[in-house]
Amino acid sequence: MTKLLAMLAAAVVAFPASAQVKIGVINSMTGPEAPIGENLTNGIKLAQEDLEKKGVKVQLVWEDDTGKPQISMSAMEKLATRDGVIGVVGPYTSACSNAVAKLAERYKVPLLVPAAAKEEITRQGYKHVFRMNAPADQYAQVLLDAVTALGKPKTIAFLYENTDFGTSTSKAAKDYAAKKGIQVVADEPYSKGSPDYRSTLTKVKSTNPDLVFMVSYVADAILLMRQAREIGLKPQAFLGGGAGFTTVQFSAEKDISGFVFSATQWTDDVPWPGAKDFATRYKAKFGKEPTYHAACAYESLRVMAEAAAKAGGDREKLRAGLVDGKWSGVMGDVDFKDYAGFTNQNDHTMLVQQVLDGKYETVYPQQFATKKPSFPFPGWK
Amino acid sequence: MTVFLQSLISGLLVGGVYALIGIGLTIIFGVMRVINFAHGELVMVGMYITFFAFSLFGIDPFVGIVIVIPLMFLFGAFLQKTFINRVLNALPQNQILLTIGLGLVMSNTVMLLFTSDYRILSTSYSSGSVNLGGISISEPLTISFLITAAITGALYWFLIKTDTGQAIRATAQDRDAAQLMGVNVRRMSVIATGIGAALAGTAGALISPTYYIFPQVGSAFTLKAFVIVVLGGMGSVVGATIGGLIIGVSESLSAAYVSSGLKELFVYVLFLLVLVFKPAGLLGKSRM
Repeated sequence: MTKLLAMLAAAVVAFPASAQVKIGVINSMTGPEAPIGENLTNGIKLAQEDLEKKGVKVQLVWEDDTGKPQISMSAMEKLATRDGVIGVVGPYTSACSNAVAKLAERYKVPLLVPAAAKEEITRQGYKHVFRMNAPADQYAQVLLDAVTALGKPKTIAFLYENTDFGTSTSKAAKDYAAKKGIQVVADEPYSKGSPDYRSTLTKVKSTNPDLVFMVSYVADAILLMRQAREIGLKPQAFLGGGAGFTTVQFSAEKDISGFVFSATQWTDDVPWPGAKDFATRYKAKFGKEPTYHAACAYESLRVMAEAAAKAGGDREKLRAGLVDGKWSGVMGDVDFKDYAGFTNQNDHTMLVQQVLDGKYETVYPQQFATKKPSFPFPGWK
Repeated sequence: MTVFLQSLISGLLVGGVYALIGIGLTIIFGVMRVINFAHGELVMVGMYITFFAFSLFGIDPFVGIVIVIPLMFLFGAFLQKTFINRVLNALPQNQILLTIGLGLVMSNTVMLLFTSDYRILSTSYSSGSVNLGGISISEPLTISFLITAAITGALYWFLIKTDTGQAIRATAQDRDAAQLMGVNVRRMSVIATGIGAALAGTAGALISPTYYIFPQVGSAFTLKAFVIVVLGGMGSVVGATIGGLIIGVSESLSAAYVSSGLKELFVYVLFLLVLVFKPAGLLGKSRM
């Protein structure tokens, strides 16, 4: 009984009954990144509801950056100075997050980036910038670890969009491939939105790579795989670095998505506390499968709001609370640490999934695997 | 050699569709001297019509053209009668603002109605290809190239042989003189815009099986169409055809031999060179 009382007391101290926190959200709600931005919006909405049930009333100030860094910067200035929020969750894209990080440091507003991959964001020693997801280098590492555990690939070709996300992910991948003794035989950045990648793919095919590593957003991923099938590109494995290769839309294109490996921050069958429950409730509420972006955004708002409720409106206390705090939830253990040149970076474990029978199955690391991976690539149907 | 031939063929096939977009823009410009900056949005509308005809009624995208052409013709004619006609004698910058505004209204209306989700139209032949001596030729692109060629041929015939076609050409050559000769230039403007919109919509229908569809897809095509038309000579249908093919091939070759990320650079350098040495465009006559 005393134990229960103590717990209750602790809960009351942690979240005073009337705790209300004002948190800013910057997200790509319109513009070309909007289809993915929507997942973050939904994740944040669900987190807001759950927090309210726990007694933390969150007042959100929404800002739409339309995917453009300059707009996300003015949104940040508005949130920091005019709206007086205690902390900010967002933005979605790497380019926006990197631009906003500088401002967060200048205005001393704690910023929690939920799902942007560019490494630099948490590598500039900023004290007020935190990141939930694993940075770009992890995408490559976990994928290459997975395929080298399965076989002995010797050569690799890179094909990526020439944006912050694409170049930083593939640069990390190139460095890691060199470490693993895999030779880079093709290195092709492309500008997204082109209807024809056949010539580039033909060039890649002529180098006969064991692995093909692609980094693309939603629609280009489908286009690239379609055209790869057209010209008969057939490596031992296709590796997709995040974003476009981890969408339900991609896996639904069974003819072209089969056996593609991709790295992801989160899957709905991972045994992290509350992950499955989150997936079911998300699907019931929004009628869509949650992507990793949704889970990252959900957990980011939860962590931010719980820390903010304890900080009582003080930005510096919130910052200290985020640095010292530890959480465990849909994203596994969350702990913002300084390591390997990163500051306030959550050392998140990435997962590798493979499209088998039109569905994503977690295949690596082994303790989280739900199915055995299929390797090498059996060829086009 | 395989890489070269593959790039050349892909470039020509894609260039054919670019040409179709360019021809639409050049006809509208020729007859009314209005640059239609909503042209890419017309392509986008064509894509959505095709997408919904396919997903709701199961109409094959290529067959769907018979629906897209009349619908887009009417849509173009409507735009001309209600909006563009009012600014025919206005300052060029006002005309540009009007068409840009129309484009914004179109893309945002579509976004409001159908969300900004990417739509992918998957047919059984979407990633089908024929292999010819190591070179793979995309089935859907080949079909769309043949349709483009047929439509372009029919358009030439229409412009050169029929009375209406001749009236359109006369209006394009000299609006006032044509009017004095008894040509109903207002009607010709409506018809020309209708044809331009129908061609843009058809291009949208033709690329939808191999591309993806979203409300903002148009802006890339507007820019491309503009480059094609200026390259070929403003108002010249043959010029736009050649311009489209040149752009398609140079994109494809520079992607294969230099870098896919730099292909726009080559397109625009080529474009600048043509403008420097032949300011009226490849087939353009002296400036108006």
